[in-house]
Amino acid sequence: MTPRDNRAWLLVAPAMLVLAFVGAIPLAINGWHSLFDIFTLQEKYWVGTEWYRALLFSPRLYESLGRSLGFSAAVIAVQFPLGVAIALMLPKAGPVRSLGLVLLAVPLLVPWNMIPAIWLSFINPDSGLLGRAIAATGFVFDWKFTAWHTWALLIAMDTWHWVGLVAILACSGLAGIAPGYYQAAAIDQASRWQVFRHIELPRLAGVLLMALLLRFMDSFMIYTEAFGINAGGPNDRTAFLSLDLGEEIKAFNYGPAAARSVVYFLITLVIVWGFARAMQRNRDPGGSA
Amino acid sequence: MRRHALRTVGMLALAGFILLPLAQVILLSFISTLPREGIATGSPTLMNFANIFRTERLAESLVNSTIYVSLNVALSIAVALPAAYAFSRYRFRGDRAAFFVLLAFRVTPPVVLSLPVFLLFSKVGLLNTPIGVALVHCVFNVPIAIWILESFISAVPREFDETAFLDGHSLPGFMVRYLIPVIAPGIGAAAFFCFMFSWVEVVFARTLTITDGKPITTAITSLFTFQTDIGLVMAMTTLSLLPGLAMIWFVRNHISRGFTVRV
Repeated sequence: MTPRDNRAWLLVAPAMLVLAFVGAIPLAINGWHSLFDIFTLQEKYWVGTEWYRALLFSPRLYESLGRSLGFSAAVIAVQFPLGVAIALMLPKAGPVRSLGLVLLAVPLLVPWNMIPAIWLSFINPDSGLLGRAIAATGFVFDWKFTAWHTWALLIAMDTWHWVGLVAILACSGLAGIAPGYYQAAAIDQASRWQVFRHIELPRLAGVLLMALLLRFMDSFMIYTEAFGINAGGPNDRTAFLSLDLGEEIKAFNYGPAAARSVVYFLITLVIVWGFARAMQRNRDPGGSA
Repeated sequence: MRRHALRTVGMLALAGFILLPLAQVILLSFISTLPREGIATGSPTLMNFANIFRTERLAESLVNSTIYVSLNVALSIAVALPAAYAFSRYRFRGDRAAFFVLLAFRVTPPVVLSLPVFLLFSKVGLLNTPIGVALVHCVFNVPIAIWILESFISAVPREFDETAFLDGHSLPGFMVRYLIPVIAPGIGAAAFFCFMFSWVEVVFARTLTITDGKPITTAITSLFTFQTDIGLVMAMTTLSLLPGLAMIWFVRNHISRGFTVRV
C-alpha cells in the first residue's frame, strides 16, 4: 500500500518550477499576445478574438488538420505492426539483442534537419543508393511533383526515423512478462498466435499506449522533417498543421501565430486527456486488461 | 528450424533498412563532391573531415551542442530524481493532475512554444547562451527522465529505503549514498534519452541562438547554399552521430527497460 503524504510535493516542486518557467509562462504569453495586433512589442492594438475567428473560419485549418490526421494514421498503421514484430523477433538475451537495440536507436540520434537531407540524397536518381535502384527498374519516382510519391517518401522516412522507438518500447514491455506465463502456455500447447494474442498483447498495452501517444503527437505536429522534403508541396498536398504555424512565425505575424499556437495547444491537451483516460482504464483492475 | 531462418532473414532486412541510408551518408562524407583544384569530383578523400575543423563555425557548433546537451542532461536528472522518488513512493493530492501536466508538456510541439520562449528569454538575458537552450529542452526531457527513473525506483523494494532511514539517514543523504548507486542503470538510460532528444532538437536550438552559441543543427543548415558541398554536410552528420553511438553502447542493456508507465 502506497502511503499518502502531501509533503511529496516538495520533491516534485523543482521539476514543476522548471516546467512552469519554460512551459506555462510561455503559454500564458501566447494567450495574451493572441488578443493583439502586434507591430512591435511596444506598439500593439487590442483585437480581441479576431485572430481566433479568422483561424477557425478558414477552410485551410481543417484541410491541414485532415492531412495531419491522415499522416499520423498512416505512420501509426505502418510503424506499430512493424515495431512490435521487430521486438518479437529480437532474441530475449545475448549479443544479437544488444546489437539490434543499438541499431534501432541509431536513426533516433540523427539531428532532425538532417533526416530529410539524408533521404533526399538516398533517393537521388543520379547518385543515391535507392534512387539509382529505382531508376534501374524504369520507375520514375517524382516526389517533387506527384503528391502520393511525396507522401510515400515522408512515410518511409518517418518509419526509418521512428520505428526504433516503437520497437524499443515494445521490447521493454515484453521483457517485463514473467516466464511463468510462457510455461503455462506451452503446457496448454498454445499456438504462437495465441501466445501473442492472450499473453503478450495485453501486457504490452501500457507501453504501446505510451508509444502511441508519443508517435501520434510527433507525427501529427511534424515540422522540420516534412518541411525539408518538399516544403508542403506539391500544391500544399503535404502542408501539415505545424507548417502553417512555422510560416506565420517566419513572417513575424505574432498575433495570428500566437492564436494558432493556443489552438494547437488546446488540441494537444484534448488528445493527451484522451490518452491519460485510456492509460488509467488500462491500469484499473476492473478493466478488461 | 524454419522459424530460425525466418528470424535471420528478418534481422538482415531490418539491418539493411536502417543501415542503407546511413551508408549513403558515410559514403558521401568520404567523397569530394565539389569541383576543386587538385582533386577530381567523386574521388575518395578525407578532406571533408579536415574541412570541418578548418571551418571555425562548424568546429564551434560541435562544442556548443555538447555544452548545452550536457547541461540539459544534468539539470533534467537533478530535478527528475526527487520527483520520480515522490511519484514512486507516495500518493499525494493532485498526483494524477501532475502526471497529466508532465504528459502534456512532453508532447507540446516546440514550434508552439518557440516564439514566446524567445520573447521571455530575451527579457531575462537567456538568448545566445547554452544555458537557455539547456533550460528550454527540459520541457520535454524532464517528463521523460521522471518516467524512466520512476520505473527503476519502483523496482527497488520499499524496505530498502526504510532500513536506511532507521539507520538515521536523511532523505537527501539516502538518495545520494544508497538510491543513486542502486538505480545507476536507470540514470544511465534516462541520461541517454535526454541526451538524444536534446541533441537532435532543431526548432528551439535554432530560435534561441541568433548571434552566438549556435548548435550543430544550425551549422549544418547554413551549409546549404546554391552550391552545397554535400560531402561536407555528410561529414558533419557522420560526426554528429558519434557521441550518441558511444552513449548507446554504455546503456545498451538498459535502454529497453524503464518505460513501464504508471498513471
